[in-house]
Amino acid sequence: MHDLTPQLVEQVQQARAEQTPLHIVGGNSKSHLGRATQAQPVNVVGHSGIISYNPTELVIRARAGTTIQELQSALAEQQQRLPFEPPHHQGLATIGGTVAANQSGPSRPWFGAVKDSLLGLGLINGYGEAMLFGGQVMKNVAGFDVTRLQTGAMGSLGLITEVSIKVLPQFNANETLVCELNAQAALKQMQAWGNLSMPLSGMCYWQNKLYVRLQGSVAGVEETCKVFSKALPLVVLEADLAQEFWQKVTERELLVAQEKQIMWRWSGPSNAPASALDNTEFINWAGSERWALTTASDATVVNPHVTQYRGGDRSLDVNPSINAHDQALQQRIKHAFDPDGLFNVGRLYSWL
Amino acid sequence: MAALSNSNHRLFMAALAMCLPSSSIIVSQESQRPFECDGLAVYQQLPMVTVLPETLFQVQDVLRLCSEHGVPLVPRGAGTSLCAGAMPHAHGVLLVMTKFDQILHIDQDTASARVQPGVRNLALSEAAAPLGLYYAPDPSSQIACTIGGNVAENSGGVHCLKYGLTVNNLLQVTMVTVAGELVTFGGDGLDEPSMDLLSLVAGSEGLLGVVVEIKVKLLPRAPRVQVLMAAFDNVISAGDAVAALIGQGIIPAGLEMMDHLAIKAAEDFVKVGYPTDAQALLICELDGTDAEVEDQLAAVSACFSDHGSYQIRVAKDAQEAAALWQGRKSAFPAVGSISPDYYCMDGTIPRGQVAHVLTRIRELSQHYGLAVANVFHAGDGNLHPLILFDASIEGQLDQAEALGGDILTLCVDVGGTITGEHGVGLEKMPQMPYQFGDAELAQFRRLKAAFDPSDLLNPGKGIPTLKYCQEYRSLQHA
Repeated sequence: MHDLTPQLVEQVQQARAEQTPLHIVGGNSKSHLGRATQAQPVNVVGHSGIISYNPTELVIRARAGTTIQELQSALAEQQQRLPFEPPHHQGLATIGGTVAANQSGPSRPWFGAVKDSLLGLGLINGYGEAMLFGGQVMKNVAGFDVTRLQTGAMGSLGLITEVSIKVLPQFNANETLVCELNAQAALKQMQAWGNLSMPLSGMCYWQNKLYVRLQGSVAGVEETCKVFSKALPLVVLEADLAQEFWQKVTERELLVAQEKQIMWRWSGPSNAPASALDNTEFINWAGSERWALTTASDATVVNPHVTQYRGGDRSLDVNPSINAHDQALQQRIKHAFDPDGLFNVGRLYSWL
Repeated sequence: MAALSNSNHRLFMAALAMCLPSSSIIVSQESQRPFECDGLAVYQQLPMVTVLPETLFQVQDVLRLCSEHGVPLVPRGAGTSLCAGAMPHAHGVLLVMTKFDQILHIDQDTASARVQPGVRNLALSEAAAPLGLYYAPDPSSQIACTIGGNVAENSGGVHCLKYGLTVNNLLQVTMVTVAGELVTFGGDGLDEPSMDLLSLVAGSEGLLGVVVEIKVKLLPRAPRVQVLMAAFDNVISAGDAVAALIGQGIIPAGLEMMDHLAIKAAEDFVKVGYPTDAQALLICELDGTDAEVEDQLAAVSACFSDHGSYQIRVAKDAQEAAALWQGRKSAFPAVGSISPDYYCMDGTIPRGQVAHVLTRIRELSQHYGLAVANVFHAGDGNLHPLILFDASIEGQLDQAEALGGDILTLCVDVGGTITGEHGVGLEKMPQMPYQFGDAELAQFRRLKAAFDPSDLLNPGKGIPTLKYCQEYRSLQHA
């Protein structure tokens, strides 16, 4: 529960003076993401605590080292939630890391990604300046959207010190429906239902079953259960089993990579066929996110847009390659924030 | 930025004539007159030349040419901007994108559409309607404004409380850089690993590149939509009702508020049956399944009654609902009909500050001797105070601008922002150093330079220069 901004600024300034690259660490729950890099750690986890939370404004503002668990507990007391349903990784994940890694849960297609709930943030740039962008209000178009630019940047543009997030009320009803279906049939059903104006918050395929989560008002969920059950022989999953299932989806623990296995992630159009990604085992986000496992020795993945999410050789690029113009542009953007190349160099791409 | 010398001007125009058919180049003052301003007509400027390209290659060629000759370029859609964001540059090219008006593809399976930037906002929803889909951001100018312009300004509308601004509905943007190169941000999937350049482009006001193709998310039409109106005898109760409703966990599709002056003007203008004795009016739209809407309707009515609404009217049918909205959507022209001129502000504040800010605006209105009508997106705290003035009376425009400036700094003081959805453009440059510190402004300039090192794209808008900020700070100290 401390504001360590002055110390963090000092560390960055010192690193700049000594030209020492930094490796930003929060709860260290995402070390498996991105490329493996070597640099001096700068620890943000002690820089934690909720700065302000006003439930009627639907806004919470917290320091970057605040854990997702702490945020969710504070919100739960007021019957509110983080709309993007991030993983908490055994209680270690912080909000700063969640924003940097752009981690959203199963409700992503319906309730948006991290960026959709992000209202503002604090950032220390490579000059060692602590800056504030965005704010705590719902709409803000003054200046460039430096706030959302940070989502997915993996800390390459600076050290996130705090974030302001739009929150939403908790759901009054929650139901999970399951049906035996093969992958192609499950995908077809996801397309039929995924874009309906119904209280959907999760649709995935796992081990020959289609899982559909409904969350919303009691009346809305009941009504939708009836409508969907007319189309397919759906079974209601018991509440504790359902909770366990969706928690594993959120935590990315459903599909487990064994030693020497590589976990691949691909996101594309939701109507892509089941064959879009070889060895697909898990389909999330109503078809928009596909996951596959291979053993390291036969890691030939045909799809060029696939991400080597976990495992394998992480000294090489793990994210899909991009064209030369985009690459040069991202390098110039990095330079605009971090001219000396201090922050998480090479984590997102080998050339950034 | 200086004008080209005579000889360079001749060279530039000759090269331009090689890139574009003569029908796409406008040079005469008379023919350029319609382009000299956008929706904020108090700022006017004729450009050196106006071009209306028809192909992607032409856009790329124009940008390459401007880069080569150091000529500024201002992109423009339908020109409905309310911040002089599309006002031309005296020594530059005005690049009008209205000929890029094709909806390239609507995909029912993935509920998305690929469009050219000159497609009108409402035209997209109309084209998607037979599939039961629509495009959610709906600024009041939706009949005329373009999707490209919406991207540039990150436009909102009355439904963004529940469905987000343009940035929340974008999937992909293809843009021509100042060097004439094509770059694409976003993609067919969701959340691919990268810094979020797609979101950066949203609201960048034409300072980073020229958007040439956009893929947006479409939403399914809700099975039921219900509109209700609640009248209050004071604005504070109405403001409290809004905070209480959101606090209860009800997020309506739209939640709008109008004050007495705006209610009267709207009713006189469109005659939709607004109670003209009311001091404040809330218009609330609920959508969802039949059961969801039924539940919410009861809760909303109870909440408004509890907070002192003396009249609640639930629209019986789609026609009545449209009428209730028509009054709100016509509020700007309605106010225009009761005053020779009006000046629309766009601050956003925390919802809890609504009553305080409205009280303070009334005091400022009395101080300046100019009436202010308030129309706003109450659900998300986005105010649109309309300052009534008469530009033919000497000094009144300056007074209106000064009052507007005071309202914007008030918004910043209570924890809000100078612009919620209209953009900074030329208009709100004076308030930028009030909202941001020097480090943030310098960071914006470096970010701009990463895209546009010679500051050719829409120069003098959006982000103040270092010199501008220094002058502002020294004035503050004096």
